[in-house]
Amino acid sequence: MSSLHIPIEHATLKNGLRVVVAPDSTAPVVTVGVYYKIGFRLEPQGRSGFAHLFEHMMFQGSENAPKMQHIKLINSSGGVLNGSTMYDVTNYYEAVPSNGLERVLWLEADRMRALKVDEENLRNQRDVVKEEVRVNVLNQPYGGFPWLDMPPVAFRNWANAHNFYGDFHDLDAANLHDVQKFFKTYYIPNNAVLLMLGDVTPQDGFALAEKHFGAVAAGPVPPFADPAEPAQVEERRGKVEEKFGTLPAMAIAYVLPQRRTPDWNAMALLDQALHGGRAGHIHRELVLEKQIAVEADGGVDDIFGYNGPSQMTTRILHKPEYSGEATLAAFDAIIREAQQNGVTEDELQQIKIKWRSDYYSTLEGGRGGHMPRYGLMHLLACFTLFDNDPQLVNSVLEGFLAVTREDIQRVAGKYLVPQNRAIVFRTPAKAKEAA
Amino acid sequence: MASRAPEISTMVPALAPERAVTWPKRTRTRLTNGLEVVLAQAGSIPKFHGELYFRSGNALVSDRSTGLAEMTSTVVRTGTAKRASRQIEEDLRRLGADLGSSAGQDTSAIGFAGLSEFAEPLLQLVNELAREASFPENEFERERRQKLEEVKLERTSPGFLASERLRKILFGAHPYALVSPSEAQVLAYQREDLQSVYGDVYTPENGLLILVGDFDPQGMLKLIEKIFGTWSGRKPGSKEFPAPPSPQGRRVYLVHNPGSVQTQILVGCHAITRKHPDWVLLGLTNSLYGGAFNSRLVMNIREDKGYTYSPRSALHPLRQHGYFSISAAVRNEVVAASLTEIFYELDKLRSVPVPESELGDAQNYLTGVFSLGLATQEGLLSQFSNVELNELPADYLETYRDKIRAVTPAELMAAARKYCDSANLQIVVVGDRAQIEDQAALFGALEIVDNQGNKL
Repeated sequence: MSSLHIPIEHATLKNGLRVVVAPDSTAPVVTVGVYYKIGFRLEPQGRSGFAHLFEHMMFQGSENAPKMQHIKLINSSGGVLNGSTMYDVTNYYEAVPSNGLERVLWLEADRMRALKVDEENLRNQRDVVKEEVRVNVLNQPYGGFPWLDMPPVAFRNWANAHNFYGDFHDLDAANLHDVQKFFKTYYIPNNAVLLMLGDVTPQDGFALAEKHFGAVAAGPVPPFADPAEPAQVEERRGKVEEKFGTLPAMAIAYVLPQRRTPDWNAMALLDQALHGGRAGHIHRELVLEKQIAVEADGGVDDIFGYNGPSQMTTRILHKPEYSGEATLAAFDAIIREAQQNGVTEDELQQIKIKWRSDYYSTLEGGRGGHMPRYGLMHLLACFTLFDNDPQLVNSVLEGFLAVTREDIQRVAGKYLVPQNRAIVFRTPAKAKEAA
Repeated sequence: MASRAPEISTMVPALAPERAVTWPKRTRTRLTNGLEVVLAQAGSIPKFHGELYFRSGNALVSDRSTGLAEMTSTVVRTGTAKRASRQIEEDLRRLGADLGSSAGQDTSAIGFAGLSEFAEPLLQLVNELAREASFPENEFERERRQKLEEVKLERTSPGFLASERLRKILFGAHPYALVSPSEAQVLAYQREDLQSVYGDVYTPENGLLILVGDFDPQGMLKLIEKIFGTWSGRKPGSKEFPAPPSPQGRRVYLVHNPGSVQTQILVGCHAITRKHPDWVLLGLTNSLYGGAFNSRLVMNIREDKGYTYSPRSALHPLRQHGYFSISAAVRNEVVAASLTEIFYELDKLRSVPVPESELGDAQNYLTGVFSLGLATQEGLLSQFSNVELNELPADYLETYRDKIRAVTPAELMAAARKYCDSANLQIVVVGDRAQIEDQAALFGALEIVDNQGNKL
């Protein structure tokens, strides 16, 4: 069996900023990330969508790099940049030829130290974000399905249940005071991790981190609302109208076991058995064999990247001649089969090999070919912020490869139950198309 | 906007000296059966990535039906003489592999990635799919039924409707005008049609195998000879296609999508292929106009005016022709305002030389981003594929950066004048007619169609 060991060194600056360096000088390219431990789950109530709007504001100017300069500085250094808001973290990242490393660090430090934005910037980005919501959700067939449809059905705690992209009313209400308050509360070095991957030595990386970030003031430990959910006692269901699409759709989601427990390891492999491409039980049964569905996919999204309630979600678009209940019955038969018989030893071996192979690709992997090591960056950041141990990147695989058939059958019986799931039906508004 | 952009702060660290950019050595061979093979070693992870291309796609067989090569590629993975569909999918998983089969206008391809330790069995499976696909009747029927739902569904996507319309306008009777089959065409597909495409297209003489990853090239070449060496088959004959029209004057095509809360704008004109000597120059022009985050169009209609989230311009190289497009999904109230800025920025590029510093930034961007592809197996594979499929010079990758750096403001303006054909740009807007018709009509003669393409 081949294996992969990533060299990783980490340190903590006096202001609490964690710094992780993963050197690899094969290509003259370096990926830099800054992760803040705040995502849309814990954004302020009455300000849905604010964490994401705020992420946009972080590109609007800082004390020594005014608006337009952030983007210009990175692009003109031969690099690309972006940011994304997730449940429990928000990231800002760049990939550049390695001669631009110090410039990237200067820029990230400048905006960690002093965000400088005005009313016009906020108005501008509020407009941009609304078009983002329209192009991705409101004006697209199945837009936001199921990632925006599921939370209000599945969860009761506002942190988990609200509209993460933001109600337009809340986006309109957001003001500069909110921006600076959010910045001062969460965007502090002791709530962040800086990552450098690729063509940089640990020695240089730590020295540059100290030089540019060393003087950024720490802040009080931020308050984090408790995202815990009250106990669920029965299946939850909801309905959403589909405005454009021609096919009825549904999503079925089960809450995952506690992160980094044996059940969680087993659930990940069960997820692979159920959702692993065309060999996965769900696609195989519903699309290829019974031919009820046109699409049936999904699974656990970003298994390492959350720090609160999360789900394994199946997304199904089915043929109009099958009712939602008939489709659900076919789905339930697959779940029952997993509970009664688990997986065969041969299948378990297949799944483990695929899991290992996928894990390697995650570590190397890019976003659109232009962002090498995005996956490694993301895992290192999450293991640092949630587990305080970036070295987990080199050992976490073992837990998954140790899972047994009994483990998989056990978690299928324990977690894939009605009182642990929620279902959203997304039904076309138009009369159904002729079959 | 340029007028508002402050100077770069003096505190910004200078760029350090650049490290040399070295592309991995490629081993290029042609097997005696005609199959071209390109191998490159890249040990970032213990895996490898590959593509088996065939240099024919939907265009070649468009006289038989639309999208036939694509449908063929879909069914290719569903059965061989030795393995049923389920076996294929389980075997892939057993090898830690992903595999996809697809086709576009000019090529058909089987793409794959897997663990290096299982290179041989994965290549054997790819070989089986390329040579012994059996097109099982039941698999074909299911995939055809799936395709029928897909072609209904895609007509609800604003992006699809816009690009379909623009391709029709720019390519007329040329097969490049056809991006997707109709429901009737899908219903009329026959299993024998697919087998006939497979027989014509999937041959070693028509093939190109590129592998990048953690392997020893010499050993890999021996393995490839062993697995693919006994295959035989000729290249299909080429076909003449009608010349595309050259639309004169701006015209506006409104695709009525009732209930739209946003308008998808797509504007375009003919441009060039990748092989054209002006490709690098036009690529830089595009990057500066709307091909990068730090481009004029993005800075204007996103960062200054907030009309849109995702404006961009792009060059679309096909084998015989290429085109240039500009797209933005904008709120309904600013369709006319957005089009005005789209034309303003294009005309400015055609009439005012680009400042040296801005050109330098764009040159740095393209040369830098080009190097980022070095760090992943997929990035390398995509660059090598680009060179081979477009028959670019063997030193294309090694000389690209110098060619970008040599471009002058005068050349860039000349390229914009020659290829960014402002006066004859064709305009497509997809949205709710009642919301946007008046604005659209300001830009040229207006034709309105529904999402099935029927004139309204």
